[in-house]
Amino acid sequence: MSATASLADVLPAEALTRQGASDALLELASTAEAVVRPQSTAEVAETLGWASANAVGVLPVGSGEHRMRRTLEGRFIVLATDRLTGLEIYEPADVTLTAKAGTRLGDLNEALGAHRQWLPFDPPSVPSRTIGGLVATGESGPVATGYGELRNHVLGATVVCGDGRVLRLGGRVVKNVAGFDLLRPMVGSRGRLGVITSVCLRAFPSPAVDRLLVVRSGDIAGLRDLSRAVCTAPISPASCVVWAPAGSLGGGAALLVRLHGALPTVDADQVTLERHAGVVFEQLGDAKAALAEIRDHAAGGAVELRISLLPSRLFDGLAAALDRLGDFAVAADAYSGSARLAASDVGVEAIELLRGDVEALGGALTVFAGGVELRGPDLGSRPTPEELELAGRLEKVFDPSGVFWPCRA
Amino acid sequence: MTRPLDSSIVRKLCAIVGPDHVITDPNRLIVYESDGLTSYRVIPRAVVLPGSTEEVSEVVRLLHGEGIPIVPRGAGTGLSGGALPMPEGVVVGTARMNKILEIDAENRLALIQPGVINASLTEAAMPYGLYYAPDPSSQSTCTLGGNVAENSGGPHCLKYGVTQRYVTGLTVVMAGGRVIRLGGVGRSPDGALDLVGLFVGSEGCFGLVTEIEARLLPVAEGVRTLLGIFDTMEAAGHAVTAIISEGLLPAAVEIVDNATIRAVEASVYAGGFPVDAGAALVIEFDGTEAGLDADADRAEACCHAAGANEVKRAADATQRAALWNGRKKAFGAMGRIAPDLLVQDATVPRTRLPEVLARIAEIGERYELKVANVFHAGDGNLHPNILFDRNDADELDRVERASKEIMSLCVDVGGTITGEHGVGIDKRGYMRLVHNTLELDAMGAVKAVFDPEGLFNPGKVLPDPLPEGELEVAHR
Repeated sequence: MSATASLADVLPAEALTRQGASDALLELASTAEAVVRPQSTAEVAETLGWASANAVGVLPVGSGEHRMRRTLEGRFIVLATDRLTGLEIYEPADVTLTAKAGTRLGDLNEALGAHRQWLPFDPPSVPSRTIGGLVATGESGPVATGYGELRNHVLGATVVCGDGRVLRLGGRVVKNVAGFDLLRPMVGSRGRLGVITSVCLRAFPSPAVDRLLVVRSGDIAGLRDLSRAVCTAPISPASCVVWAPAGSLGGGAALLVRLHGALPTVDADQVTLERHAGVVFEQLGDAKAALAEIRDHAAGGAVELRISLLPSRLFDGLAAALDRLGDFAVAADAYSGSARLAASDVGVEAIELLRGDVEALGGALTVFAGGVELRGPDLGSRPTPEELELAGRLEKVFDPSGVFWPCRA
Repeated sequence: MTRPLDSSIVRKLCAIVGPDHVITDPNRLIVYESDGLTSYRVIPRAVVLPGSTEEVSEVVRLLHGEGIPIVPRGAGTGLSGGALPMPEGVVVGTARMNKILEIDAENRLALIQPGVINASLTEAAMPYGLYYAPDPSSQSTCTLGGNVAENSGGPHCLKYGVTQRYVTGLTVVMAGGRVIRLGGVGRSPDGALDLVGLFVGSEGCFGLVTEIEARLLPVAEGVRTLLGIFDTMEAAGHAVTAIISEGLLPAAVEIVDNATIRAVEASVYAGGFPVDAGAALVIEFDGTEAGLDADADRAEACCHAAGANEVKRAADATQRAALWNGRKKAFGAMGRIAPDLLVQDATVPRTRLPEVLARIAEIGERYELKVANVFHAGDGNLHPNILFDRNDADELDRVERASKEIMSLCVDVGGTITGEHGVGIDKRGYMRLVHNTLELDAMGAVKAVFDPEGLFNPGKVLPDPLPEGELEVAHR
């Protein structure tokens, strides 16, 4: 690849058009040299080969709508997978599918729904997210409680490395241990190792009944015992979320439990749960609207944080957050011990103090988005030095010329 | 030819782990000459059995310092030769590291040493209403460290997934004896690379696991176990597709063929399978008691629609145990039929099962080999078992050629060369059926991230370089 060629020399004009790009993508690309929107894995490889040869950074994005903390200074391009769309292979009887990375989850679930199947992931705004983007963030949402995490359902992927190498990792069968599992570090790597252009996933039968149960409380702390009772009950709910709106200082909280299964199963699970927890749940009538609201809750604040802890320490972490942040909105996955917090105005010091509290509890804090004052060094928890060293060496394997620096910044 | 270990190194090893835990007597080393894949046998230079992370670290530092490769070993039940010794290497076994360090019932986590037997973890968790989900057929003897190395599966992985899903953190001894901790629930910020997931299934080639943090699940309230009897494997295969297409999610769907049924029923593991059946399906549902009968009824209807002669239900725990014994002990029972058994392992898309089974039967006939099938039908994870006598050189050659054809067939229909047993030494030669040189090179580079000198289990998983001038073979 010549270091002097321009992108227009190596890609068709359609790959460089901004026409039809979403506002989010255009905003993201406002300081980029170019927005590249390839329509094939080969075009992605061409782009990365060009970027490597020209020492230009590459920021891979899906829909461009997902918030992630970034500091972008230097020459870079945005590589969007929004035009790599479509279901490639779907055999309902195999309950697996292969889709191009830019295909939106909403479209995939619509195609699967015709066969009473679905992809059990519910992070914020999941219908508009692309499958490649979702895999790159590794987010499952609270429904992982009942179905397992996203990382366990990604069977295979086509990935283009920083230097343009195309690797087909994993496969399209539900069990596969043919060689070292290079797919695992790709899931959740946020584009630092490669651009995902196609994904093969395991799907699941849609539940006959999707029931949402709620118990309300004066404040978050009032849900502590109930939450632990639900999480240790001898049933497996689809999810269990601790929820509180902004503006309430932890008040007006609720515990939301989702049960999936056939009607007799869900009825029996509710009885078991109520007996175990010593409480009567309210059943929400319009579960669909409520589910979307819960799913997207606490995902749009000016400052967005996540704390992760052992489930038994989740409420200690939430108490620390109340202490340090004051007011915030929260959606916490009681089973996994992970909570999303959104606040309108939080300073660096408060976040640092909260990080200290969370780490003292054996957990970690991640900063997703923040105002101008948070654009300095990452305030989130760090993996151990040994883990960072290994991660750095893995990055060199997949991105030897370091073009994915915008994902690391 | 295996070269004895230098006496000064033996002395140092004895100083680290105690003289009782260093084996150099050739008569005792024979025990370690192979794992469950008995067609390959190599006597190691020595076997060392450390009792703690610290001892493992010191042993690795010493051996790596001398440039001596290490072959990690759990219970030696692996079926791909992952624990096969090498003439230049020392086997480091985890047998003494067999303690369950903690059951954290509230967080549904366990902290265990790698030498803990798979079934022992479930036994220890049962008083808390919890259990460990992955259940390889060897679960009464295989170790969790071995399960981590192989990313083991088992019958109930259809619903619950394989080992990788349950391992949340690891303590590992890396090249040169460095001890590091990876992951742990709650410990990793978002965006941290999934090093635990990468380590699981690395077949002892990245380092030695010395502690495992694993997820436990609540024991299901109820269970229903069905036995479907069919005239042909093809009909049983169609029933599997129908059950999955119906939207049911059984905990397990296992298939056994006539040859297996006869072997099992003639053994002490007899499960009550009719010996004239062409195939039998063991189908299990678990979960909330209230919904189980309806699921079982629907599965039974699927079996009848696919031509089942009979569908029976286990009436109680004893009958259920007998059915599972018949399935899980099938490999052992086959020892009655032939001196040697090659347990093959490959995965195909579920919908291709009937066609693939017919073609495997045809391959067996063509090579004049006895092939018995017992496998995880719900996952499309095949175990064609080839029965043979390794002292018969011609038969051994036919076994190898038939195996290669079976592997190529599975890859051709969209499957892969191993679903749960790993590559080890056995499948190295097939790796180029599913991965091209770029991908294999990337795997080699990732191994080097963990093991730059290549001293952990060398010669396993990755194939030899392509001979000059030879082209890449077909690729999926």
